[in-house]
Amino acid sequence: MTVLEGVAPPEVEVRPRGVSRRDRWQRRLPLLPALIYTIVVTQIPFVVTLWYSFQSYFWNTPAPAHFNGVSNYKTVFTNAAFRSALVRSVGMTATAVIVAMILGVAFAVLLDRKFLGRGVVRTLIITPFLVMPAAAALVWAGPMLDPNFGLLNYLLEPFGVHHVAWLSTHALGSVIVVMIWQWTPFMTLIILAGLQSQPPDTLEAAKVDGAGALATFRELTLPHLRPYIELGVLLGSIYLVNVFDAVRLMTNGGPGTATTNLPFYLFQQVNNAFDIGGAAATGVVTVILTIIVATFALRMFARVFQFEEGGV
Amino acid sequence: MAQVKYVSASRVYAKDAPPAVSALDLDIKDGEFMVLVGPSGSGKTTALRMLAGLEPLDGGRVEIGDRDVTFVPPKDRDIAMVFQNYALYPQKTVAENMGFALKMAGVHKDERARRVREAARLLDLDDQLLTRKPKALSGGQRQRVAMGRAIVREPKVFLMDEPLSNLDAKLRVQTRSQIAELQRRLGITTVYVTHDQVEAMTMGHRVAVLAGGLLQQVDTPRHLYDNPVNQFVAGFIGSPAMNLQTVPLTEGGARIAGTTLPLPAAVRTAASQAGLRELVLGIRPEHLHVANGSGELTGPGNLAGSRALAGEVLLVEELGADALLHVRLAESGDSVVARTEGRVSLAPGQKVTFHVRPEDVFAFHPETGARLAG
Amino acid sequence: MTATAVPARPVKDREPGPQKLREMSRQVGWGVLAWVVGIAFFLPVLWMVLTAFKPESAAQTWPPRFAFSPTLAEFRLVFSGWGPFVTHSVIATVGSTVLVLLLGVPASYALSVHPVKNWRDGLFFFISTKMLPIVAAIGPLYVIALKAHLLDSIWLLIILYTAMNLPLAIWMIRSFMLEVPRELLEAARLDGAGRIREISGVILPIISPGLVSTALICVIFAWNELFLALNLTVTNAATMPMFLISSVPQEGLYLAHLSAAATVASIPVILVGWIAQRSLVRGLSMGAIK
Repeated sequence: MTVLEGVAPPEVEVRPRGVSRRDRWQRRLPLLPALIYTIVVTQIPFVVTLWYSFQSYFWNTPAPAHFNGVSNYKTVFTNAAFRSALVRSVGMTATAVIVAMILGVAFAVLLDRKFLGRGVVRTLIITPFLVMPAAAALVWAGPMLDPNFGLLNYLLEPFGVHHVAWLSTHALGSVIVVMIWQWTPFMTLIILAGLQSQPPDTLEAAKVDGAGALATFRELTLPHLRPYIELGVLLGSIYLVNVFDAVRLMTNGGPGTATTNLPFYLFQQVNNAFDIGGAAATGVVTVILTIIVATFALRMFARVFQFEEGGV
Repeated sequence: MAQVKYVSASRVYAKDAPPAVSALDLDIKDGEFMVLVGPSGSGKTTALRMLAGLEPLDGGRVEIGDRDVTFVPPKDRDIAMVFQNYALYPQKTVAENMGFALKMAGVHKDERARRVREAARLLDLDDQLLTRKPKALSGGQRQRVAMGRAIVREPKVFLMDEPLSNLDAKLRVQTRSQIAELQRRLGITTVYVTHDQVEAMTMGHRVAVLAGGLLQQVDTPRHLYDNPVNQFVAGFIGSPAMNLQTVPLTEGGARIAGTTLPLPAAVRTAASQAGLRELVLGIRPEHLHVANGSGELTGPGNLAGSRALAGEVLLVEELGADALLHVRLAESGDSVVARTEGRVSLAPGQKVTFHVRPEDVFAFHPETGARLAG
Repeated sequence: MTATAVPARPVKDREPGPQKLREMSRQVGWGVLAWVVGIAFFLPVLWMVLTAFKPESAAQTWPPRFAFSPTLAEFRLVFSGWGPFVTHSVIATVGSTVLVLLLGVPASYALSVHPVKNWRDGLFFFISTKMLPIVAAIGPLYVIALKAHLLDSIWLLIILYTAMNLPLAIWMIRSFMLEVPRELLEAARLDGAGRIREISGVILPIISPGLVSTALICVIFAWNELFLALNLTVTNAATMPMFLISSVPQEGLYLAHLSAAATVASIPVILVGWIAQRSLVRGLSMGAIK
C-alpha cells in the first residue's frame, strides 16, 4: 500500500505533429457525460446563489426579490453571529481532527500487532464510522447523555459525576465528542495502512541497531507516517467542517448559539429567517473562504497524492 | 571481535514441517570470514537471523564470545548486520543512517560524526553524500551506506545477508573484493550468507554448505572443491558443475561410456557392503582431458593410468582462452561437460575421446549421496 | 575439517525459556488492552442495539439496565412506519449509485488509461466540487428545485446524490484503472480491440472488485445523507434519516423507540461496511491509499 507513488510521470507522450483532431475528441468523449453533469448540477446552483446574493429576497414577505447591491455582503461581514459561527466551526473542526488523529494513531498502533481476535476488534473500532450520523447524534443525545437515564452518567458515577445535563452544560463538548467518535475510525484506518506499509526490514535493522520500541516509533515510524497523518488531517477537515447532523439533532445549535457551526448557521438563515438573499451571500463568502483554505491545502494535496499518470 | 558458535541450533516454523535449520553445529573462529552458502530454502538466512536474534531458536543455543546469547535481544549482542535490501532508514540522511546505532547507544554527537566520517572514508563515500537521503543514491552507493552503518559500530560480529545480490554483475565483482579486503583490514568475525558459490569460494576463509536445513560440509574453499563429502557439495561447488552420472557397477569398477573405470578397493568394498549395484560417479570438467579423433592428447600432463571415454560432441562453448565441450557419452547417451585446455578445433557431431585418471573420479551412494570411502 | 551430513534429527521439545514466557504474557496483555479499547469504543453502538429491545419503561430507568426482558414492540412500531421511507432510501441510493457508475467509468477511463490532454485539470475540477460546502447553496437549490417542480421528488435526490458521489467515484475508479497492467492493454490493442472492447473486455473484468468497493462507498454516503433530504423533501421522497428524525417527537422521551429506529436505519450500512472494510480506506482517501 503506498501513498506517495514516487512514479515520476513518464515523458509526456510524444505525439506526431498534428495529432488528429479525431483522436482528441475520442479521448474527450467518455469524459463529457460526467463533466457536463457535474457542471450543470453543481455550478448552476452556485451561479444562482451568486445571483441571489445581490438580491433582497425573503420567503416570508410578499415582496418580490429585488436588487440591493452588496448590502447582503455588508451584513455578513458585520454580523457577529456569522463571525462567531465561523470561529466556532474552525474550533470544532480543529479540536475534533486533532483528537481523532491522536486516537487514530493510538488505535492503529494497537491494531498493528497480532493478537487473538484482532479482526473482531478492528471491526468494533470502525463501526462508529458506519453508524448513520443522524442515528449517532440521536443515540448520543438520548440513551447516552440523558441527564436522568443516560449511560454516561451511570458509568461516570464512581468518579463523582452526578446526573450531568451534558447537552446543557457541556453542549459544545458533547457535539465534539460525537464528531470525534465517528471520525476516529477513519483516522485509524488511514494510519493503519501507513503502519502496514512500513518495510519490515528497516524495523529489524533498527532492532539490531539498538533501538527500543519507543525509539523506533519516534525515529522511524512517525516520520514514515507523516504523509498519512497529513492526508488524514486534510481529508478529515474537509469532512468535519461540514458536519450538520450532530448539531441539528443533538442541540439544535444551542443552547443559544453555543454549538452553531457554519453549516447550521446557513441552515438557520434559510429555514428560520427565510432570508434567501442573506443565506446566498453567506454561502458565497463561505465558498470563497473555503477556496482560500483549499488552495493552501492543495499545495499539501499535490505532495500527498502524486497525480499518477496513466495513458496507453 | 569474538568467536561464534552454533550448538545444535534449530528452528522449526510449523509443528509437523521439516525444520528450517536442523541441529546446526558450527564453530566460527575469531576474525574468520565464514560464508554460509546453499540454494534457496537451505536455511542459511534463517541461521544468520538466529545469530542476529531476529529468529528465536527452537532448540540448541548460540554463543558469541563465550556468552550464550540465545535469549539476548539483538541490540545487546554487539553485532551489526547488512541486510539484503539494505534496509536503510528512508527519512534519514546517509550520515544519520550510519550514526543511528551510535545515537541509540548514547554516543556524543561529535564522536558520532567522527566515526561516521571515518567509515565513509573507508568505503569511499563522498562527503557530499552524507547529507543525502537513500532514495537519492545509486544501488552501489546504498550498499556501501549499509556497510558503513555496520562498520561504524565496531561490533564483535558482522552479519551479512546476501549484500551483493541487488548489484549488477560488474559492480558485484568489484564490491566482492572490496568487502573481502575490508574484512581483512578490520579483522572482525564475519558471517556472510550467499547463494552464489563463486562468492563463497572467493571470499571466505571457510565455507559452510547448507541444504534443506542441514549442514553438509564446512571447510576451506579448496578442500570443499577437492574433497566434497557428498554429492550435493560436489555438484554445488565449482563452475561449471561437476559431471554426475549414475553408472552400473561391474567387476573391478564402474562401466561408463564404453569402458570400465577402475575404482579403488575401498570404494568397491563400501559399495558391496551397502549392497549397491550402481553408483554415482563425479568427474570435474577439467579432469576430462580431451583427445581428438586420432587419440592424441591435446593438452599437457602425464595421464598415465588413464582410461578413455568415448563420446560425440553436442555443443562447443567458446570462452576464448579455453572452451566447454558438451559431449554425449557413448553407450549411455548421457551428456557431460568438459573443459578443454587451450583451444581445440572440434565441431558438433565429431567423435571425441576423454582421458580420465581414476584418482580424479569421485564415487557417491546413489540414494544417500554420501561419498563412498572419501 | 569436515562435517559429514547427517540425517535430520528430531528437534527436541524444550521448556519455553523465560524470554518466551515474557513474550507470551506481553502478547496477551496487548490483546486484553486492545479488546478493552475496542469494546469501550463500541459501547454506544451496543447500547443502542440493547436499548432497541427494551420496552420504553425499561429504557428510562436509573440506573440504566443491562438485564431486562427483551421485546420486539419497538421494532414492530418501526417496521410499521418505515415503508415509504425505506423505499425512498433504496431508490435514491441504488439509483444514484448506478448513475454514478454509468457516468464515472467512462470519465475515469478518460482520465487514466486513455487520458485527455488536460486530465490534471479535470481531476482537480471534480475534487474541487467536493470541497465546496453544499450548505452554501441550499437556499438557491430550494428555489431551483421548486421552479423545476422537483421539490420533494425522489429524482431530485437521485440527481443530487449522484453529483455528491461522482468525484469520489471517479478518483477511486481511476486509481483502480491505473493498476491494470499496461501490457494487458497493449496486448488487447494488438489483438485489434477497439476502445469499447478494451473497456468492457479487459478493464472492467479486472477492476470489478474495485467497482464493487466504489459502489459500496457511494451507497454508504447516499444512504446516510441528511442535509439535502431534510431541506428538499417532505413526504414524497423522505428517506430513512428523515424517518429517524420523525421518530423523536417534540414532547416526551422515547429512548427505546428512537434506538430501534436508529438501529434499523443503521444496520444496512453497518453490514456493508463490515464486509467491505478495505474499500473504506480506499474510498475515503479518494484512492490515495491502496
